Amino acid sequence: MNVRYLLLETKVVLRNSRFLVFTIGLPAVLFLIYLGLFGDQSFADGTPAAAALMVSMSGYGAMGAALNTGMGIALERGYGWLRQLRLTPMSGWTYLITKAVLAMLVGIPAIGLVSGLGAVVGGVHLDARQWLTVTVGVWLAVLPFALLGVAIGQYATPDSAQTMGAALMMVLGLAGGMWFPPEIVPAWMLHVMQATPSYWLRAVGLSAVGGGDAATGVAVLGAWAVAAALVATRRYRADLARA
Amino acid sequence: MTNTLAPPAVARGAAVHIAGLVKHYGPVRAVDGVDLVIAPGEVVALLGPNGAGKSTTVDLLLGLITPDAGQVTIFGRTPREAVVAGAVGAMLQSGALRDNLTVAETVGEIAALHHRSGRLAEILAKADVADFARQKCSKLSGGQKQRVRFALALVSEPDLLLLDEPTVGMDVEVRRRFWASMRDYTVGGRTVIFATHYLDEAQEFADRVVFLRHGKVVADGGIAEIRAAASGRTVGVTVPGVTAAELAALPGVDTVDVREDRASLRCHDSDAALRAIFDRYRQAHDVEVTAAGLEEAFLTLTADEEPRP
Repeated sequence: MNVRYLLLETKVVLRNSRFLVFTIGLPAVLFLIYLGLFGDQSFADGTPAAAALMVSMSGYGAMGAALNTGMGIALERGYGWLRQLRLTPMSGWTYLITKAVLAMLVGIPAIGLVSGLGAVVGGVHLDARQWLTVTVGVWLAVLPFALLGVAIGQYATPDSAQTMGAALMMVLGLAGGMWFPPEIVPAWMLHVMQATPSYWLRAVGLSAVGGGDAATGVAVLGAWAVAAALVATRRYRADLARA
Repeated sequence: MTNTLAPPAVARGAAVHIAGLVKHYGPVRAVDGVDLVIAPGEVVALLGPNGAGKSTTVDLLLGLITPDAGQVTIFGRTPREAVVAGAVGAMLQSGALRDNLTVAETVGEIAALHHRSGRLAEILAKADVADFARQKCSKLSGGQKQRVRFALALVSEPDLLLLDEPTVGMDVEVRRRFWASMRDYTVGGRTVIFATHYLDEAQEFADRVVFLRHGKVVADGGIAEIRAAASGRTVGVTVPGVTAAELAALPGVDTVDVREDRASLRCHDSDAALRAIFDRYRQAHDVEVTAAGLEEAFLTLTADEEPRP
């Protein structure tokens, strides 16, 4: 992998104002608002709401960053940039892998900012291992979304990628229990929520403060990651065969 | 691959060697059996009407698409190997630029991938884009975008440049400057292949013209050769007291049109015809030799025998 290219791409993503607003600014602001409303409460199982909100919003931001970055492939194809890249020594596989790594990298700021806010203004007190889980753990749990973005990015058109990105964020945020907590919804809705990968992303983070099933989360997210990688690979091979 | 024979001796040292190349899209044979050997240092124009197979040929040369039959070698390597080695650069016809990147970022990314980041400033200067290097690609004019694409093609300092309709969207002045920077680039003996619609560009810039029609090479030669092959030359001469039949019998002459004493001779070999005229008719005067324009040659060569559906 070409590290210099990866860094240049990272810079391009991180200075995009749309990206900054929707995947870093919005989760941070939502976190502060929710914190003001529910920050001093706890769920029935004893999980403090502040920690749960922190995990939800950092996970939401990182998930959005990862998904949208992978889906950027559709835009680059639309611009004809992929043809230009094919006239460089970088192979198509390396391009896809670099994109997935980029998607993971740009998820870090949201987790860093929201977790920092949680520690400084949210009154979230955790030990080192717990902090590791809500930061690095959540970050690693974003991997299936990065791969999902790479898979979808190969199918989507530039226009549909924009719309699908926004729609997916909405659906995964809502149905994954990031916008309102699964702890308070009826049982049938909880089952729907548990079908989404975003529910399990949150669960991995929450396991640090006692409210999430990390083992199941890792298994479900792992399965999503494998499935997304297979779809992405299959699509790429089909594209090669067509050329 | 239908062609498993080793390329002939001349082709082994060739910049480009194409043998039996075929590519079809469904029933359309976009490239239909093209053979071509291009020597290092040649500047070749690929000329032909829309749908002649120019862009498909360029894509095959770059390895962007795989042929259904035949083979392409560039400096003895496969197209992909040549790209990886940086031996071939290309200006693609469409798009290729991302709106949200600046010119310097665009060229910088491609330079990074070629491991040429250290040469970025030099490339920007060479392609004449340094003035607007900090602008977003979305803010550029059509001509500026073409220059950025040219910069991308130059990044690896390729020995072979492929240009697909390079001056589309450029105004006259920008076009002139573009060809000037291209000339600078080829001074060191680099090879250039460009696809174009502009006959005057082929005429002015190419050493050699390859006409494509319906995916086949219908003519291939130097500019002068092509012109002559298509329509020869027209000799105008005043020869008092000579009949059309006498003139028609002269060597090199095809047809004759005489009005008063002024004859107009369509010749496939105007040199032979003129020698004979001055030998035999001392009174001949006011000689005028005109070559048919490339446009005429082009139209003759690429006109369809039958209307296409």
